[in-house]
Amino acid sequence: MSFAITAYNTIFKRNSVYVGSVFAAAFAFGIGFDSGVTAFWDSWNRGRQWKDIRHKYVQDEE
Amino acid sequence: MASFQAVKKSINLAPTVRALPSGVPAAPLLNLAVRAPAEQHGHGHGSSGPRADVPPSWAGGVSKSPFGLFTKTYTTAPSPRVFQQRLLHTSAVVKDAPEVPDFSHYRAPNTDNNRALSYFMVGTMGVLSASVAKSSVSEFLQTMAASADVLALAKVEVDLTTIPEGKNVIIKWRGKPVFIRHRTQSEIDEARSANWKTFRDPEPDEARAKKPEWLVMLGVCTHLGCVPIGEAGDYGGWFCPCHGSHYDISGRARKGPAPLNLEVPAHDFNDAEGKLVIG
Repeated sequence: MSFAITAYNTIFKRNSVYVGSVFAAAFAFGIGFDSGVTAFWDSWNRGRQWKDIRHKYVQDEE
Repeated sequence: MASFQAVKKSINLAPTVRALPSGVPAAPLLNLAVRAPAEQHGHGHGSSGPRADVPPSWAGGVSKSPFGLFTKTYTTAPSPRVFQQRLLHTSAVVKDAPEVPDFSHYRAPNTDNNRALSYFMVGTMGVLSASVAKSSVSEFLQTMAASADVLALAKVEVDLTTIPEGKNVIIKWRGKPVFIRHRTQSEIDEARSANWKTFRDPEPDEARAKKPEWLVMLGVCTHLGCVPIGEAGDYGGWFCPCHGSHYDISGRARKGPAPLNLEVPAHDFNDAEGKLVIG
């Protein structure tokens, strides 16, 4: 209950703050969505990508 | 007998019971000019005479005509003043405000949560729309970017250790020839000592060669785009056979129709591996 009042007073009350927080959340959401989808892709295709099998074919000269 | 029946009918029946063949109701014995009786008749509406709630006859009224009843108003009659209140009636009572049911059982006891949730849902919609718009725009812009094969061809590596001193090498870079000249010390001195401020396109040799012994230029004549010939011309540099432009050992236009010096592409030296990267 108090959380709802706090959220209203800090974010929703002023439209400028509201719109700004919407854009900030969109930015954060885009980054999070991208990294999440990439992590899912890597785990789904584990062992099939070049970065997983590179060590079998390329020996870094040390 | 028949005449008696007609008389009886005319007395007993209402005057408008019959209709003429034209459809007009016939009122044969209706006296439209009848007046109220002169005397009081004992139920308290004052003296007799013309009725106060009926417009007078000169203001108009109903008259009988051969085509039926006829009504006409000649003037604006005063409205009949009726002071008698009708206290008995059967219509519904008109109230000041309609009766509203009691919704207090259905109302939220505290509206703060609902308000915050509503704003939150609206804001979430905004977040999703902004993400969609941003990714649409950025994906569309990425379609204009160079593809990977183009980027891979955009750079060229040259092994400088294979070029002896005083030799030219011509390589292809982005479809155009590039001259690489390993200059000798005397050529460097010649290029640096020239009075470049009097040239057609004044440019010092220090600005053209990052390392004095390596000169890298696009091999396209600035006049009309021929490929100049190396180690030729009046100044020991390049000579364009098409229209006779002469370039010196730093690639600067010295003679002929060429308006500008030979162009120097963006290049970098990789000292560790002795390589030159153009692009």
